[in-house]
Amino acid sequence: MSLKHWGAAVVNRLAQPFRFLQQNRKAKVVFFVSLLVFPLFTFIVTVVLPVAKNPFEASAEDEFKESAEALPDSTPAEIIAGRQELARKIASLEIDQAFFQARLQLSKNDSISLAVDLIDSVAALEIKGVPIRRCKILRYRSGGLTKRLRSQGRLHQWLSTPFVLQKELATLPKSPIRIKEAPKDTIEANESKGEDLPIEHRDAEFTLKFDRNLNLAVEQAQPPSFSGRLRKIWYALRRNFDTTRDAVVALAYLRLPQHRMWIEIELSREDAKAIYRALPSRAEMALRL
Amino acid sequence: MNDATKNNPLSPSVSPNAEKISRADHQSAARIHFADAGQGAATGRALGTGVCAGLLLSLLMLWFAPVLREWIFAVLPESKFAIQLRTADIKQLQKEARSLEKRVAALRRKYETLTPRAPYLIVNTSGNRIQVMKGNELLHEGMCSTGSYILLKAADERQWIFHTPRGMFRIRGKSEYPVWKKPDWAFIEEGLPVPPPNARERFEYGVLGEYALELGDGYLIHGTLYKRMLGMPVTHGCVRLGDEDLRIVYKNLQFGSKVFIY
Repeated sequence: MSLKHWGAAVVNRLAQPFRFLQQNRKAKVVFFVSLLVFPLFTFIVTVVLPVAKNPFEASAEDEFKESAEALPDSTPAEIIAGRQELARKIASLEIDQAFFQARLQLSKNDSISLAVDLIDSVAALEIKGVPIRRCKILRYRSGGLTKRLRSQGRLHQWLSTPFVLQKELATLPKSPIRIKEAPKDTIEANESKGEDLPIEHRDAEFTLKFDRNLNLAVEQAQPPSFSGRLRKIWYALRRNFDTTRDAVVALAYLRLPQHRMWIEIELSREDAKAIYRALPSRAEMALRL
Repeated sequence: MNDATKNNPLSPSVSPNAEKISRADHQSAARIHFADAGQGAATGRALGTGVCAGLLLSLLMLWFAPVLREWIFAVLPESKFAIQLRTADIKQLQKEARSLEKRVAALRRKYETLTPRAPYLIVNTSGNRIQVMKGNELLHEGMCSTGSYILLKAADERQWIFHTPRGMFRIRGKSEYPVWKKPDWAFIEEGLPVPPPNARERFEYGVLGEYALELGDGYLIHGTLYKRMLGMPVTHGCVRLGDEDLRIVYKNLQFGSKVFIY
């Protein structure tokens, strides 16, 4: 059989369950209506409404108050430009203030916390306000909503208190625990002494899900090994599955699924591993971006 | 058939033509009936297939919803820059900027005072390295060994996990030529019977190196006989250092000095 014939046969076979559509118009209409109802509903509820009703968008009242204080349209362009620059400086200072306030708040805790500074490209582990490991952020990306907040000059409100870790997902275990049964006698103990120590070469990629709708994904700069690649695929699937499940749960409780802001940073493998292993289960984070 | 019969309209016999017509009517009625039934079945099938395919598409949409939302955010027109709108009073803006600058500088100073001025130690358990610091200045860097993360299970159901605790600690004691009082797990791990609490075989000399610094809860910073293991996670929770590193740490860290372990 030629490829053309084989292709036609496949198309024919695939089209067979839909052959009834050729027979009457009513069936065709019913099919297309029932086909589109659920996806359309899902699109509106999980895509359109979460964007339109995201809790970070400026309210109409805010917009009104601010526009009441705005410059008149007849103002010369250079005056507007100068004032806009000053306004941007204020926005950036407000972010700095929020960052230091959040770090000072973190320093009151005994546990290890994270301070991510995207402007200076540094991620630091801190205890009691003392930076104990500074990691160079090699690259970063952030989501559309974060950029939108920045453009609105409202980012500092979101950053003013530390984020609290809710859930984490990773390609490596949090604690590399190995179970060892106690030897029965000295002979067995001496035999087990000769065993080689396992040296861990695990790739380190993880996602930290914080409150206030923030996801921080950390990727290692080094390319993963073959097994690391497989683990990464599994990790990505689990991450997407989690997001989908959250949306389904929200819909089941008649709530709108919320769009999560995300930041993706790239660190060296050692830095990523050290950060992941050091952070406790309810770790807190200060962010500057 | 005779003529009389042929011409009599009341004759009971049916002409072959009429018979043909009647059969055709029956067949067409049946066809209409079956067509109606077929149409109903097709509609039902259309509904079933449509709903199934629709649900499948909905699931796909749920899976890709975050990506679709990102696309929407990318194409949405930029909303008003909040501060950009509040630009009527330039003096007010300049005042606000100056006061913010002062506040940020004060917060920065307050934050910087949190770093100890006295020497302190940072232990990295994932890389098995130490740093002796003074303020933001690095005094010394070296290798160490920290907890192995082995979970030892004894026959009597007792178990121990050999990990180095993380967080901030203080030096609670310093000693020279320390003696190790072996705990129960040290005997169980070697397949030996556990002696009474103060038995002579519990005390071992020389295995902890020249110095030991106490962190509390039985955790120590000490020396080791197994120098080739430095840089690997092999201890029972203590921090092991090489001779030279231990000397520097012992010299710089005083009673109450801070030790940060991560």
